[in-house]
Amino acid sequence: MAPPAQSQRSPSPSQPSGKGEVSDLKLQLRQLAGSRAPGADDSKRELFKKVISYMTIGIDVSSVFGEMVMCSATSDIVLKKMCYLYVGNYAKGNPDLALLTINFLQRDCKDEDPMIRGLALRSLCSLRVANLVEYLVGPLGSGLKDANSYVRLVAVMGVLKLYHISASTCVDADFPAVLKHLMLHDQDTQVVANCLSALQEIWSSEASSSEEASRDREALLSKPVVYYLLNRIKEFSEWAQCLVLELVAKYVPADSNEIFDIMNLLEDRLQHANGAVVLATIKVFLNLTLSMTDVHQQVYERIKAPLLTLVSSGSPEQSYAVLSHLHLLVMRAPYIFSADYKHFYCQYNEPSYVKKLKLEMLTAVANESNTYEIVTELCEYAANVDIPIARESIRAVGKIALQQYDVNAIVDRLLQFLEMEKDYVTAEALVLVKDLLRKYPQWSQDCIAVVGNISSKNVQESKAKAALIWMLGEYSQDMSDAPYVLESLIENWDEEHSAEVRLHLLTAVMKCFFKRPPETQKALGAALAAGLADFHQDVHDRALFYYRLLQHNVSVAERVVNPPKQAVSVFADTQSSEVKDRIFDEFNSLSVVYQKPSYMFTDKEHRGPFEFSDEISNLSIGAEAASNVAPVSRVEANGNDLLLSTSDKEESRVANNNGSAYSAPLYDASALSVAAAPQTQSESAITSSASGYTPQASFAIDDLLGLGVPAAPAPSPPPLKLNPRAVLDPGSFQQKWRQLPISVSQEHSLSPQGAAALTTPQVLLRHMQAHSIHCIASGGQSPNFKFFFFAQKAEESSNFLVECKINTSTAKAQLNIKADDQSKSQEFTTLFQTALSKFGMP
Amino acid sequence: MLQCIFLLSDSGEVMLEKQLTGHRVDRSICTWFWDQAVSQGDSFKDQPVIASPTHYLFQVVREGITFLACTQVEMPPLMGIEFLGKVADVLSGYLEGLNEDVIKDNFVIVYELLDEMIDNGYPLTTEANILREMIAPPNFVTKMLSVVTGNSSNVSDTLPGATSSCVPWRTADVKYANNEVYVDLVEEMDAIISRDGALVKCEIYGEIQVNSHITGVPDLSLSFTNPSIMDDVRFHPCVRFRPWESHQILSFVPPDGLFKLMSYRVKKLKSPPIYVKPQLTSDAGTCRINVMVGIRNDPGKMIDNITVQFQLPPCVLSADLTANHGAVNILSNKMCTWSIDRIPKDRAPALSGTLLLETGLERLHVFPVFQVGFRIQGVALSGLHIDKLDLKVMPTRLYKGFRAHTRAGLYEVRT
Repeated sequence: MAPPAQSQRSPSPSQPSGKGEVSDLKLQLRQLAGSRAPGADDSKRELFKKVISYMTIGIDVSSVFGEMVMCSATSDIVLKKMCYLYVGNYAKGNPDLALLTINFLQRDCKDEDPMIRGLALRSLCSLRVANLVEYLVGPLGSGLKDANSYVRLVAVMGVLKLYHISASTCVDADFPAVLKHLMLHDQDTQVVANCLSALQEIWSSEASSSEEASRDREALLSKPVVYYLLNRIKEFSEWAQCLVLELVAKYVPADSNEIFDIMNLLEDRLQHANGAVVLATIKVFLNLTLSMTDVHQQVYERIKAPLLTLVSSGSPEQSYAVLSHLHLLVMRAPYIFSADYKHFYCQYNEPSYVKKLKLEMLTAVANESNTYEIVTELCEYAANVDIPIARESIRAVGKIALQQYDVNAIVDRLLQFLEMEKDYVTAEALVLVKDLLRKYPQWSQDCIAVVGNISSKNVQESKAKAALIWMLGEYSQDMSDAPYVLESLIENWDEEHSAEVRLHLLTAVMKCFFKRPPETQKALGAALAAGLADFHQDVHDRALFYYRLLQHNVSVAERVVNPPKQAVSVFADTQSSEVKDRIFDEFNSLSVVYQKPSYMFTDKEHRGPFEFSDEISNLSIGAEAASNVAPVSRVEANGNDLLLSTSDKEESRVANNNGSAYSAPLYDASALSVAAAPQTQSESAITSSASGYTPQASFAIDDLLGLGVPAAPAPSPPPLKLNPRAVLDPGSFQQKWRQLPISVSQEHSLSPQGAAALTTPQVLLRHMQAHSIHCIASGGQSPNFKFFFFAQKAEESSNFLVECKINTSTAKAQLNIKADDQSKSQEFTTLFQTALSKFGMP
Repeated sequence: MLQCIFLLSDSGEVMLEKQLTGHRVDRSICTWFWDQAVSQGDSFKDQPVIASPTHYLFQVVREGITFLACTQVEMPPLMGIEFLGKVADVLSGYLEGLNEDVIKDNFVIVYELLDEMIDNGYPLTTEANILREMIAPPNFVTKMLSVVTGNSSNVSDTLPGATSSCVPWRTADVKYANNEVYVDLVEEMDAIISRDGALVKCEIYGEIQVNSHITGVPDLSLSFTNPSIMDDVRFHPCVRFRPWESHQILSFVPPDGLFKLMSYRVKKLKSPPIYVKPQLTSDAGTCRINVMVGIRNDPGKMIDNITVQFQLPPCVLSADLTANHGAVNILSNKMCTWSIDRIPKDRAPALSGTLLLETGLERLHVFPVFQVGFRIQGVALSGLHIDKLDLKVMPTRLYKGFRAHTRAGLYEVRT
């Protein structure tokens, strides 16, 4: 069935080469074409089979198209089916020849047998040749009115196929209206379901151009339609049920009675044998109760058992997909699942990605009552044959320890790991002990005693080595041989390949020097000399920095390199809560399996209902790329923060910092340049950060630049006025959007009236315009909308750019604001939010 | 919405391709897929959803045949996976088994089936009973018939009545000379036993399989003596929800033939039927291994097909194992299988031997996990009992048969 271009690929020796056989077939078909001999149908059937089997293995048999059509005049339904199959496959490549088939297909569309009528209609619509659409309208029209439901349901799908070939023909023939009527009145539920899926597709793509279509699409979510479908849900096939449930999940009920009615009606769907139905139902339940916290909890309780059953029953493929969803829920509400922790125990022969999910869930559900059992179980896995899982489970033990339950027992276990004499176990455990010490300095006595016994020669992995070196530096006063261990490490400087380890070595030897100067002085000298000669830029810079710092003043150097530390209270999470919420909104979709919201991975062309004009769609991609980068750099920052930071400030700050701004003081200079680079006027950036308006960068910059830039008390700025007749062409918007950094990123909730009033993007546009905020692009369908706004200051041409994503079902708006003049961005944000919250108010 | 379905043989050859929408999916995606599958091995084969550079692929593997579906849009993942699973089930029902040859011989039927099961990427009918009426299976009888009558069409002339009936899983006019219904309780026990013999987790997953051959449209009801032990249940669409909710009675109009009526889960069980006690002691580069097997809680019926399987760690160079009962087999990938079958009355089966470790290794660090298999006929270990099965309305004589059996699922003993 490969397209012609493919057929040149050399077939494997077992497959026939094709050429000779095809011309042979052509000859035989031609002979049979006109034959009415008694056995003709049988021999035709053999030939057709051959043709199709060639087609299946990828040999191009389009050359016999004419002969196939000639032979198709037959009453034998199997022959017909094979012929339809063949024609459907090659018609697109041979539009001229396809015309030949129209005749017999049209005739078959009027056959007595509904089966043949249906099949012919399906094949007719599957030809997908643009210049033949005129022949489709007639048969489709009569097909939609056919007495037999089989023909009707084929015809409904045919309309959708027609729409994709030629949208205008489909709309001109008024088919959407016919489908709408059928959807609400047809007896057969499969016809109704097909109508629903066809109309959803047609109206979604029409909505951007036609007001009527977008109104029709809204009407699908109206109470009468939703109730009509819900009342018949048990008659639908399982797949159609999924479709209906997906629609219901988007429906916004008017009051809580309605919510409970729907949930009562759907409760038995949770016990359906088809996992797809169960998950779709769960999505409905979760979405409906999002605003009712206590009921939402009960929903979790209710859906727990079906999900756990789905995981343990179905095929392995199925259970992984369900497990991913379960994972999402467990991460959102771990306490609800804490009694079911045994379900997350790993079985020996499960694939490792399943085990990984389970480990994460075990970590999440740990609480006071089950920590002991869970940690015992995790320690079993540490001796596992599967080394990545063994590592993962040691990390899990560490994470649980950081959650503060029963630390005593866990520290003992971790220290046991250190004595297990397996290099990867030791390596992981070292990293963990380091994290533990940062959070619970009170355990240092016990840990250091064990860590001191580890020979640095046995530690090869750079992360573990770095952790060990950090501890050597940090607790050098408690470890008698710390300076000598460091010294021997410095002697092997050239053999150390990881820059990370070398950086740590520099810092550790500095710290050690402040505590035990006479013993370390020699090592420090050697380290600085080696660092200055290092080819790695960071290592070189740090060595130089330390060197000059020491030259300047030793006590200042100590304050910078080894300040008194606060224990870390919370380590930054790797996945931002916004991303997690996005994934939750996309429950029962591929996003959950990938643990990424769909905008991060689906093909942009197929993103679905978001429709922007060409230019603007580029823009939205640019914006996406920007938001894509943020979480990634944040993850890296986390990786670094554990190891690179020398000042060990409280990490919770990272959460609201941008990746680039996060670092130890000595990096601030570079961080500043990074932060300032994208800005057009770097001066304004500095003043703005000094005045403390931008939440990013400023903390870190203040620390270092507190001495450099005198923080002039900012004069109270005049109130911000916007230009009501601002103009900005899409091109420059796009350009600015790419250049400017995000200055404010916030979530804002909409008033319920506002969420209800937002049925089409246009409504909000008019409202915002009244507040001198103009829209440059908008799109989306209920409940998700996306807008790009801009505004200008009244007196000067300084722009504010806003990306605003609104979800009406949760009544939440996600704002990303960029500004030419950063200092005004907070003020503008307030202005924007006020305007937004007034939306929907009378 | 699926865009294309491929069937691949176990050598990666495309046996069948069914394009579903206007976005044609090039079959080079299969080459990509197979290259990945070969290079990444088993871990790749277990992933149900794969991101390729151009598409998202759903894969379901049954009997060496890979069912591959492609999509480029966001969709419920289970819809794709469940659908492919259904396709596999229907095909293996139609062709009486799945393998490369049978699919290649009957590819026309496979095309016909796919044509009815999915249209434009949306699944339509997947009920085997209805499909059987639209497209006759290629069985011996139809082959004979075609030879005798000369009419070789395997497509029935009439459309199935059930497509429009209110019981979509059953046709109205089924006739049998003998009315009979068989109910099977099939249970699988999953358990984890720690190295000190304590039960870490023990749970049963059970299914009720019904095979019904009853004239007309029968209305059955099935009740249990102890329905409360079931932790969570899932039903075939034919089961009515209300009677279950109020009285824990299964009331249903069964599809014709074999089907899965319900599945259930029973957790927190306390009595695994057999024990397996492994002992490993390392000393100076060798490791003594000793495994004892015996009955722990007698279920009252014969336990057979007992096997113990374990993977030797990579650091073991060679193994010398003997058993006083049953056969021991060591494969080249260091997988040891000890087949015991039944436990003899006079002595407890025991396996013993020595493992030679890698040079330089004093003792064993990585401990094998023992996977145990067994089967018990005639008893459902969860303790679930069927009380009675009634046929409403129909006064005809009905033969009812009940069976139960339990086998080990993931039953593992740690060391």
